[in-house]
Amino acid sequence: MEFSLTEEQKSLRDAVIRFARQEIKHDLSLCDKEGRFPIESWKKCAEMQIMALPFAEEYGGCGSDFLTTVVVLQALAYGCKDAGLVHAVITQILCGIQINLFGSLEQKNQYLPMLCQGEKIFAQAITEPEAGSDALGAMRTLALKVDDGYVLNGTKVFISNGPIADVVIVFALTDPAARRLDGVSTFLIEKDNPGFEQCRPIEKMGLCTLQNGELVFRDCRVSPTALIGREGQGAIIFNESMEWERSLMPAAHLGTLERVLETCVGYARKRSAFGQPIGKFQAVANKIVDMKTVFELGRLILYKAASIKSQGRRAGMEASIAKLFISEGLKQSCLDAVQVHGGYGFTREYELERDLRDSVAATIYSGTSELQRSIISRLMGL
Amino acid sequence: MEIIESIRGFISTEICSGSVQKIDDADLLIENGIIDSVGIMLLLGFIEEKFAITIDGDELIPENFSTIATISTLVGKKIG
Ligand SMILES: Cc1cc2nc3c(=O)[nH]c(=O)nc-3n(C[C@H](O)[C@H](O)[C@H](O)COP(=O)(O)OP(=O)(O)OC[C@H]3O[C@@H](n4cnc5c(N)ncnc54)[C@H](O)[C@@H]3O)c2cc1C
Repeated sequence: MEFSLTEEQKSLRDAVIRFARQEIKHDLSLCDKEGRFPIESWKKCAEMQIMALPFAEEYGGCGSDFLTTVVVLQALAYGCKDAGLVHAVITQILCGIQINLFGSLEQKNQYLPMLCQGEKIFAQAITEPEAGSDALGAMRTLALKVDDGYVLNGTKVFISNGPIADVVIVFALTDPAARRLDGVSTFLIEKDNPGFEQCRPIEKMGLCTLQNGELVFRDCRVSPTALIGREGQGAIIFNESMEWERSLMPAAHLGTLERVLETCVGYARKRSAFGQPIGKFQAVANKIVDMKTVFELGRLILYKAASIKSQGRRAGMEASIAKLFISEGLKQSCLDAVQVHGGYGFTREYELERDLRDSVAATIYSGTSELQRSIISRLMGL
Repeated sequence: MEIIESIRGFISTEICSGSVQKIDDADLLIENGIIDSVGIMLLLGFIEEKFAITIDGDELIPENFSTIATISTLVGKKIG
């Protein structure tokens, strides 16, 4: 068993951390307050080829394996304090993975180069007002088959990148009478498609630079070439995509956790009370030790999931455990980080309150913690 | 024969936990709710590991998982 990264992965990680610290320069405090997407930093991430990582060179990608992609995203979230931007980048990569795995050659040729270059922004739309955790079972958005394609009707909510997306991957029912496993299909819809409306971004407690919003389809007519994969393949595409998502999102959470942990160690050494550094008080040290434990164990399960997937094998269980463990660990660590910093932790200036606000959503998107436990128990045969 | 029986055995014991009496070769697994979205994750994990194959892209379609017979045909084709 080998637990170390290759020299190439290490130097890539260092380069991405340097890039994130030096090149991502938008005023995060202001963007966070105004809920503004930092398009200039998005473009820099694209220039750095972060969105291109796991895709083949023929589509403008870097051809990196999945573990390398995970290492880079962890590094990005470690070096860049804007978790909303990192989330937007990961959403872009996830859309590319679905096109790459299930799209036609024409779709790959048409969409992957612009996705890799960040020239067009992508989003994926599954959740509906009445269908969140039970996304497939309670889905209502309908894609009715007609002579020249499909007509979509329905509403999607909370869609990351949704309000600013140029292209959206949409899941809809093509056979409402069938079981969900073969009644859902996946479509690629461009923003200027008649009948497709992008609503304004919603205001959230965290991840404020990430643009989330409602997408409405009213008699939205698309050609048969908009279909990704085969009709009825949507549930399987969704399943596969979730396995990737539950490895990539935790990579970012782990990067943030690493940064928060280091900040706490530095502060606990420097800040004194009762004549000694606060890190000498066991009650303070314990919180930081718990963060370290989550970081080390989270990294093991995440890299395990990523290594398995790099070998082309399935890692459903590992990905769900990684998502559950790291997102819950991040949320608790951010709360503890504020506590370790005392009154200063509660101020905007120290930036930990933003990490805390951002972390709360991590246990909700890509399947809530409750749902991850339910999936893991089913996979255990319970 | 061996392939089909091991698939039947896995679906009966691991996916249905013995709650379905007997699954015939042509019984509709998805339509009858025997396999759902978590069930398919379990099944894919099992057949990929057991038969040392990878199923992806075009092969990941519901039709290939509709009955024990179609799953067995897919596996047989992959093993070659
Ligand atoms: C920041 C952010 C970004 C997002 N991005 C996207 C996106 O890009 N695309 C997209 O399609 N969606 C996106 N979502 C939506 C997200 O996937 C859903 O919010 C999530 O799946 C939960 O659905 P819900 O909000 O409807 O909650 P509900 O499903 O209504 O759940 C409410 C509560 O009930 C619990 N619950 C539900 N079912 C069970 C169960 N079986 N067992 C135990 N507890 C249960 C849940 O865990 C939760 O605590 C995003 C959400 C957020 C917050």
